[in-house]
Amino acid sequence: MKKLFGASAKMLYRDKQALFWALAFPVIFAVVFGLFDFEQSPEVKIDLVGETASPVYGAMGVGLGSIDTFVVTERADLGASTTRLDDGDTDVVVAVQGANVEVLYNETNFQTNQFAITAIERIVDRVNLEAAGVSEPTVTLEASGVAAGDVSYYDFLLPGLVAMGVMNASITGMAVAISRFREQKILRRILATPLAPIRFLSAQVGARLVLSVIQSALILAVGIFLFGAELHGQLIWLFVLVTFANLIFLNLGFAAAGRAKNPDAAAGIANAIALPMMFLSGTFFPTETLPVIVQWIVKFLPLTPLLEAIRLVSVEGEPITAAATQIAALTAWVVLSFFIANRMFRFEEA
Amino acid sequence: MSAERITDEVAVEVRDLVKEFPSPERGTLTAVDHVSFEVHRGEVFGFLGPNGAGKTTTLEIVEGLTPPTSGHTSVFGLDSVAEREAMKERIGVQLQSSAYFQYLTLEEILDLFGSFYERAVAPDALLDKVGLIDKKRSLVGHLSGGQAQRFSIVAAMVNDPDVVFLDEPTTGLDPQARRNLWDLVEHINQVEGKTIVMTTHYMEEAQVLCDRVAVIDRGSIQAIDTPLGLVHQLPAAYRIAFATSSALNVNDLKDLPGVLGVTPLVLGGFDYELEVARAGDTLPVFLDWTKENDVEVDDVQVVPATLEDVFLSLTGRSLRE
Repeated sequence: MKKLFGASAKMLYRDKQALFWALAFPVIFAVVFGLFDFEQSPEVKIDLVGETASPVYGAMGVGLGSIDTFVVTERADLGASTTRLDDGDTDVVVAVQGANVEVLYNETNFQTNQFAITAIERIVDRVNLEAAGVSEPTVTLEASGVAAGDVSYYDFLLPGLVAMGVMNASITGMAVAISRFREQKILRRILATPLAPIRFLSAQVGARLVLSVIQSALILAVGIFLFGAELHGQLIWLFVLVTFANLIFLNLGFAAAGRAKNPDAAAGIANAIALPMMFLSGTFFPTETLPVIVQWIVKFLPLTPLLEAIRLVSVEGEPITAAATQIAALTAWVVLSFFIANRMFRFEEA
Repeated sequence: MSAERITDEVAVEVRDLVKEFPSPERGTLTAVDHVSFEVHRGEVFGFLGPNGAGKTTTLEIVEGLTPPTSGHTSVFGLDSVAEREAMKERIGVQLQSSAYFQYLTLEEILDLFGSFYERAVAPDALLDKVGLIDKKRSLVGHLSGGQAQRFSIVAAMVNDPDVVFLDEPTTGLDPQARRNLWDLVEHINQVEGKTIVMTTHYMEEAQVLCDRVAVIDRGSIQAIDTPLGLVHQLPAAYRIAFATSSALNVNDLKDLPGVLGVTPLVLGGFDYELEVARAGDTLPVFLDWTKENDVEVDDVQVVPATLEDVFLSLTGRSLRE
């Protein structure tokens, strides 16, 4: 068994192309996302047009100028500013005519508009209040984050990339490797020896579990040391959870190999399983942004509880017991996926 | 080939073996149809037949890879189904067009496969036997066709088996590589004393290597005998081939005692073949006839019939159809 495990590990290590997809691919994601600065608000270019002498114009100018990310330019010609808006040279045009404030914006830039319009509404409210003689508002609002420490989008993303990388490498890697062994009649050749087939398959699983630990460590290292991600919890639980959930992905890889006629088909089936999970289960965005029905379905995919559990322990710094529900869901999936694999897997082409 | 090499002990026994596969067109396809035979220890036993005749299926049932529909197979009394694990310890299997792990070296593959058995031969000794010791750290993909095939045979011997199964060991090899492989098979049989069960669709290979040959077609055995015995079963065991300087009357030749048939070899030419049962009796008769009739003959050859002729006579079709 030791020899078999060693040989399986060697095969994995020497298959450089597959190794690249397993290790480099998620690391590239970690690097690319690390290069974006998600915390910086985008700059908004605003043209302010109107009668410079009017008090509303003056109040709007002061209000807009008080917001850091607004770059305000005073213009005389509304027509020219509208053209600039069409050409994308400016983001928003604020036109003051008497007591009326008109906001023109380019509909293609959704996120900037949302932010800018909300801010401008507030300014208008304040100008109105001041005009009504209220200088101190009766109700004030102060917003502050309540998560443990200061969680950035990258902190949220990094554990997701670990889970995604392990899932992709395991489902596709296992499906392609087993399908190739079958196509080359290696599985048949092994059946001709006294070795129990389950031991051969176990060695493959073992080697891939070790690979997934290395893979996880590499992605985390890039995120933490190169891009300063801050993970708060005990990372050991992240490794334990990912390794445990990896059994599900390896089982699904076996199942995919079971129905594939050749390694290319196996890769296709594996991608069909992995890709929707990668996007729907919340690797990149919280699942709360999905339609309710989809959210409900996504809850039952195996990647979802894994992502939730590792974020609880690594991002939010919760104890492992806080993830009890997710661990129960993962355990159910390990059992279920084993039965699926057992049913779908074939040593030989049917 | 010495007679004492082969003993009376039964190495492989196949009794009334049937294998049916579901077939979309015909309901069931009978790949093996009531096949029975025995292979003795020390023997080289060959299955000769065209592709799809049922050779590989029969072998794979004996090897314990495929369950039979009915019938019984065993190796040294160990049942291929019920005592499969014990049986596998004693056999070596080379599968048709099977590859080995592409990312392991020859040495590592032999070491790994050896670890699957209770007893294992050292990789170096195995590689030395087939002249691949210099390649021990190479990957299988870097071997030539002949080398890869020699490796797959030696990989079937990691457990020092008593019976070695070879499924079309020389298919796709060039003539030189084929001859090298024949030498290897003879070495394994004659020097190491292994029983060999092999399939082939090359009659020359069966004739050179096999002590006995089973001619198989459409799932059933048409005849089992030594290559010579099979040829002698034919009414026309020999051919007398010759050339003349002028056209002959074919009917005159047919009337000669002992001549079973006459074939003009080249259409419109003066080359003929006489099919005869016993060349020693018929050749003098033929030569006397040529003198009496002033026929000048040249290039007279006596050619024994081949397994190709046997196959044609048993099945009504050529081996290479």
